[in-house]
Parts: sequence; C-alpha cells; structure tokens
Amino acid sequence: MIKLLYILKKEFLLIVRDVHAVTILFVMPAVFILIMTLAMKDLFELHSTVVIDILTVNHDAGKRSVALLKAMEEHNTFRFHLIGKDTVTESVKEQMLSRDYKFALVIKKNFSAFVNKKGKGKDENPLELLVNPTVPVQTQLVLKSALDGELSKLRWDAFIGRIDKLLAFAGIDRKDLKADKLSPIDVQYVYKGGQSFKMPSAVQQSVPAWLVFSMFFIVIPISNTFISERDQGTFMRLKSMNVSSSYLILGKMIPYLLINAVQVIFMIAIGVYVVPLCGGTALTIGDSIAGLVLIAFAVSFSAISVALLIASIARTTEQATTIGAVLNIIFGALGGLMVPKFVMPEFMQNLANFSPMSWGLEGFLDIFLRNGGVSDVLPKSLSLLALGLVMLGMTLISLRRQREV
Amino acid sequence: MIKIEHLYKSYDKKPVLKDVTLAVQRGSIMGLLGPNGAGKTTLISILTGVIRKDSGSITVNGMDLDHEIGAIQSRCSYVPQTLAFYPRLTARENLEYFGALRNLKGKKLKESMEFCIDIGSMQDFLDKRVDKFSGGMKRRLNMAIGLLNDPEILYLDEPTLGVDAQSRNYILKTIQKINCERKMTIIYTSHYMDEIEQVSDEIAIIDEGKIILHGPTQDILTRADALCGHRNLEELFLKLTNIRLRDDN
Repeated sequence: MIKLLYILKKEFLLIVRDVHAVTILFVMPAVFILIMTLAMKDLFELHSTVVIDILTVNHDAGKRSVALLKAMEEHNTFRFHLIGKDTVTESVKEQMLSRDYKFALVIKKNFSAFVNKKGKGKDENPLELLVNPTVPVQTQLVLKSALDGELSKLRWDAFIGRIDKLLAFAGIDRKDLKADKLSPIDVQYVYKGGQSFKMPSAVQQSVPAWLVFSMFFIVIPISNTFISERDQGTFMRLKSMNVSSSYLILGKMIPYLLINAVQVIFMIAIGVYVVPLCGGTALTIGDSIAGLVLIAFAVSFSAISVALLIASIARTTEQATTIGAVLNIIFGALGGLMVPKFVMPEFMQNLANFSPMSWGLEGFLDIFLRNGGVSDVLPKSLSLLALGLVMLGMTLISLRRQREV
Repeated sequence: MIKIEHLYKSYDKKPVLKDVTLAVQRGSIMGLLGPNGAGKTTLISILTGVIRKDSGSITVNGMDLDHEIGAIQSRCSYVPQTLAFYPRLTARENLEYFGALRNLKGKKLKESMEFCIDIGSMQDFLDKRVDKFSGGMKRRLNMAIGLLNDPEILYLDEPTLGVDAQSRNYILKTIQKINCERKMTIIYTSHYMDEIEQVSDEIAIIDEGKIILHGPTQDILTRADALCGHRNLEELFLKLTNIRLRDDN
C-alpha cells in the first residue's frame, strides 16, 4: 500500500510539474468547452434565440404587406429592417452586401393587389427574396417556407373576405374559415425518463465531447514519462529491483485513472459553474451518478490502455506523441466530438460507430441528455473495457518481449 | 560470491556473450573492462535480472539466478550508466520513491535515506529539483539510489561518466569506503583504466563477448609489465583487445 502511495505521489508530481501535460489535460479542454459552447449555443438550442435579420424595402402602399411583416415577426425568428420605400433593387443589393445581411426582401408595389386578387399587378409575383449565397439551403428554406405560409394565409383571409356575403347566405361563420394564426403542429422532444428533463444545449454536447477528447489525450503525458523512464534507464533499474511489468503497468494505470477522474470533475464543474457565467446555459448531469462513474471509468481505462500500448511500442517520445495526437484527432473527428454526429450524413454516422471516442461520447450523452442510467451506458462501457483489455494485453506482450532481449 | 559458467546471450542471432565463465569473490571490487560493444552492459543486465540469458548458469551467494531471482534482486543493486531517476522530482522525492519500491518504510526508509544522502553528500540540495543539478550531483544521486537497500552486491555501470575530476574522485572514494565498511561486493565497469587500477581488487577484461583476462589487479599489472615493459593497464588493454575502432551496438 505504501509502495502504491509513493507511485501515485510520483506520477502526480510528474504531471503537476509538467506544464505541457497540465495544459493538454486541463487547460486545453476547458478552453475548448467554453469556446465551443458559446460558439455553438444557437446551433444547439432548440428553443432557439436565433434571429434572422432581413433587410426589407416595402414598395406596397396597402395594408397587406404590413400584415405580412407583422405575422412573420410573430415567429420570433425573423426581424425585418425597413429601408426607404424608394430604394431600388440594385441599391438594396449593395446595402445587403455592405451591411452584411444574409437576406433582403423586396415587397413589390403589387403586393396588396396580389393578395386581394384585385387591381394592377394582381397576377405578378409580389415578393423578391435576395439571398447571400453562403447561407445554408436549410436556412433559406426556413425563411421561404415561412413567407409562403404567411402569404397563403393572407390570400385565404382575403378570399374569405371577398365571399363574405355568400358565406352569410350559406349560414357559415366567417371566423370558422379564417386561417389559423398558430401552427397546428405540436413539437415534442423525446427523452428517456420522461418530460421533466431539461432541453439539450451546446454545453451538453461540448462538455462530454471535449472531456472524452482530453481523457484520450492522456497519451501525451503517459508516453512522455514512459519513454523517458525507458530511455533514462529507470525501467532497467526498476526491473533490477524485481518490479514486474504488470506492476509497472498498474503503477501507471492507477494514477492516470485518478487524473482522468479529476478531469471529469473539473470539466463538469466548468460546464455547471463557469459556462453560465460566460452567458451559456449550465450543464445538467442527469440523475445517475453510478452510470456516470461507470462510463467515465470505461473511457479512462481504454484511453490509458491505448496510451500505454502506444508508449510501449514507440521508439521515441516524438513518435508516441505524434501517433497519439493524430489518432486522437482522427478518432475525435470521426466519433462526433468535433462535429456533432447528428449533422453528419448517414454513412458518416455509421462510420462514427467505429470510434471508441464515439462510444464514450454517447455514454456521457446518455447520462447528461437522455437521463439514462447504468443499463443504458453498460453496452458502451463494456465495449470500451474490452478494447482496454485487448490494448493492455498487447502492452504486456510488448513489454515482456522487450525483457526477453 | 558470484559464479558465472558458460554464459551465452545473443540478440537477433548475433552472439553478444560467448561462453563467459567468471567468478567474483565476496567483498571484492571487480573492475570489468572492455571496448564498446564488448558485452559489459549485457553481462551486468543478465546478472541483475533485467534481461534473460540464453544458456549457462549463474549463482549468487549459492542461489541460482533462474530460480531465486527475487531473492537475488533484493540483495543486489544496479546503478545504470544512464541517469535512471526522475528529473522533475527533487532528490528527496526520488530517494523516497525508490526506497518505497525497495519495500522500505517508516524509520527504515528514513535511516536508509539519511545514509544515502550522506554518502552522496546531498544535504544542501536535497529539496531541489534534479533537473537543476550539475552532472556530478546527478551521478552522486544515481549511485545513492542504488545504495538504498544496503545491497550485498552493487553493480556500477560507468558511474563516473561525464563528471568533473572532483565528483569523480568523490565517487571513487565513496566506492572504496562502502566496500571497506560494509563488505559490499562491487562490480564496476568503466572506460577509465586509471579508475579501475585505483579501486579494483580484481580485473576482468571482456572483448567480443568473451572474458580474455581475469585476475587480481596486482597480477594483471605484473602481466602488463611483462608484456609492455611497464605497469600500465591501458597499454595491456589495447594489446589484448587490439587497437581497431569499435562501433557502439
């Protein structure tokens, strides 16, 4: 036990005194969490505070165009910035580019005539939407659909108005035929554990993603100390002291499991306490502490095992850190850590399932977002533990082979 | 007493040790000389259980290395030619760590550390990080760590490599002191012939994996006189091992 305590003390001192390791394991992911959470806040928040600003010129003198803008603004998603009635389209385009608008809407003179189906220009298109080509197609469709919808409602209501007498004659209440102001579609988000759980947010994607990423970055300090120990002859000294390869592995495994545990607590604390101070929403960690401990342990075990294998087969520290960092970045990108899996095309989502980082991320998301428990994270945890055991076995074989020669 | 008989070792089918037979008397200092790649470090690595031999037998104080390696290792200590400790730790933290791995604790660990601190003359820089040490201080710490378990047999692989004359003199005097006071058997490799002459009771010269000369230091020097005309170990060494350059391998 005393022996183990000194091994733990040694590894902790080596880490704490290694500025690069502290930066990689704690500072880098903390900064990533803050930056990515705040940067992707709007993208992730489904009760969105996203507002699309639209430069608008209204050439129509009638009431219908005013009604359109009012109805559109009730969506809480669109904000219309009106400019002078006499502004010509070319000038609107120039202003759109110079003032960095993604959209401009030109309401033509014939708008009210088009809605009312009466007067000059009643058959000509009444709206012109100018779009910056960098705007994603989905966003264009959101605006266009909303305009189409509101325009249809206006035209329907105008039609009802025109057949008012006929309706009265038929005994039909005009109010029953008016277009609904609100959408008749109810949207519900589905979570494990009922509806009491909070909505997912950027912080709930960012914290587990960068936490898993940083936990796998343990390869840098592990290979640094492991290869230094080998090159400086410390391993030879330890072997001559009857310290077995298994003990050496255990001596690395336990301290780094604890370091990973500190990382988990630290990153969660960043999400819960620091992110709200910076304007983001606080991280909610679900109800299953046992599930959280299980998935955290499984990620940690597999990350350390992979790191030990890389460190044991690499010839130099540079080789190990390069292999480790490149593998982390590739598996991180593939596993949905850098780009969320739900925005990936289907084949990429299928590919992501091959990344152990994805197993870890999904496990944390089960706990943080889906209010899952031990049974939900168990399959992912078992996969990670199995991977860790295979890597550990290969490390032991590699170390024993080195001892043979 | 260390007894080595018909020891063979090869790396990738290339023989490194060929039929090495050697005996080292208890309580003596044996200087092990050899050019680069002669097999010195391999021989010491096998004796300390760091690597395995291909064939042959080794007994240490009557214990067979193959069967009682744990017991042998607890009575021996190996000081590698590399600085085998943690530069980001202080001297005290290094001594505590290696002491704990030697199963020392409490009062015993404290006493061992005090002895090693005294031997290494490290009182003034005990709590300083080792990466701030001079070359001589590092060498003294490297050796001090090897003395933590008060070994019966101490293997020193080039313990004075890259140090100044003062530290070198201090290390040599320390080796003689611990041998004399604690009756420690010491196997000592070095490229410095004068060092070997100064501290060794017996000398073995190894070349191309074979022991080509072994005997008491005075006998070897007498032989040098006979062969070279004066008692100079270096001339004898060059005569026996040939003057061609050796590659490190």
